[in-house]
Amino acid sequence: MARVRFKPSKLTLFIGLFLFGCVLLLLPQNATSKLNFAFIDIFGFFLNMSSSAAYYYQPPSTSPDFVPRHEYNRLWVVFSNLQAELFEQKKQIEDLGKVRLTEPDPSTGIVLAKVVNRKDNQFIINCGSNSGLKTGQYVLGDNAVIGVVEQASEDISSVRLITSSTCKIPIKISAPQINTYFNGTMQGDDKNGAIIVNIPQKYKIKAGFNVYAAEKAGFLQSPRIIGRISKCVIGEANPVIWDIAVEPVYNLNSITDVAVIVINLTAGG
Amino acid sequence: MRWFRFAFLITAAAVLQSSALLGTISLTDMHIKPDLLLILLVYFAINCDSYDAIICSFAIGFAADITGAAIGPHFIGFGVLGAALAHIRKVILLKQTRQQAVTIFVMGILTYTLAAILIKFKIPSAAASMFKIFAVSIYSAILWFLVKWLVRAAGKWLGVGVHRFGIKPEER
Repeated sequence: MARVRFKPSKLTLFIGLFLFGCVLLLLPQNATSKLNFAFIDIFGFFLNMSSSAAYYYQPPSTSPDFVPRHEYNRLWVVFSNLQAELFEQKKQIEDLGKVRLTEPDPSTGIVLAKVVNRKDNQFIINCGSNSGLKTGQYVLGDNAVIGVVEQASEDISSVRLITSSTCKIPIKISAPQINTYFNGTMQGDDKNGAIIVNIPQKYKIKAGFNVYAAEKAGFLQSPRIIGRISKCVIGEANPVIWDIAVEPVYNLNSITDVAVIVINLTAGG
Repeated sequence: MRWFRFAFLITAAAVLQSSALLGTISLTDMHIKPDLLLILLVYFAINCDSYDAIICSFAIGFAADITGAAIGPHFIGFGVLGAALAHIRKVILLKQTRQQAVTIFVMGILTYTLAAILIKFKIPSAAASMFKIFAVSIYSAILWFLVKWLVRAAGKWLGVGVHRFGIKPEER
């Protein structure tokens, strides 16, 4: 008996595929994102061929008086973070004189991960929920905040970088002259930097001030450096607020390893 | 149409599209780069018979989804508009390279705008820049003048582009 080959009409085929697309669209993102991650997992080698990270390698300097730019940036970041921690601890010592701390600090954990792929304002890293990663956690590149975890599957995660307009982070702008911080919200400009929105002009902010990621319960315990203010001018659309541009500490293209801050709330108590 | 070869070509194009290699020809600090899958969509929609064009369009849309952030938006966007282009092709031949480049530009704007609207259903925080859609479409259209020989050679390898201006003799 001859085998009958099923061949739907053009209209049936189109409607069938369209409905299948609607089903895919309605499936939860957590389920379908596994396909995206699987693609990166399988073709990771080809995706990273001629990766831009290779261009940033510089041979170590032989002079004892000079350090490479990358090393200088790393030391500057460590210095800035120490300065912020010192400021916090000074404040804490002042408070200790008044109130005795009763609750111990929750312990902070760091999960190291490699960047396996990079897209527009997004990194894919080789650690996931099995390592304790979850959405919203802060991601560091050489101790500076470079983004937040966007999605985490079991062993791979995507990181939304601070240069993405969808990445909004509460920040603090340090004002060294008056020894204080101004609070605000930063979002990416979809290019190589970020902007700080809705900061009124009554705050005396200048270019060159440091920008820190603000503490966030369960995610970040002390301020961490993000970048420096590269431009601070009177707002074009609204002259009452500042137009502030932020330059990240690092060129994000040069980062190959990251660290994710995983706060284990149970470990401290 | 040789479907195994087609699957291989689409997978290779998807890998190349999201690889760092294509980033070397990206423009400006917005990293604008041409869309190879869009070029293939227009090529197959113009050169395949309409039945195969529907399958090709949805398959290329699926590849675009795999390389993107969410599954579904490009599958629908590429599928619907690719099928529509295959239908329009019966009326307008689109045989000149310039016409095909303009088609790539228009299809780029339409498919990515539709996909950007649909992606909001899945990821509400996703942001789409109309300037970037415009720039990617125009870059892809310009690239068509350079890669048309390569794409046509790949098309012949797959067995398309032989019955160009209408339906196959057995379909008449």
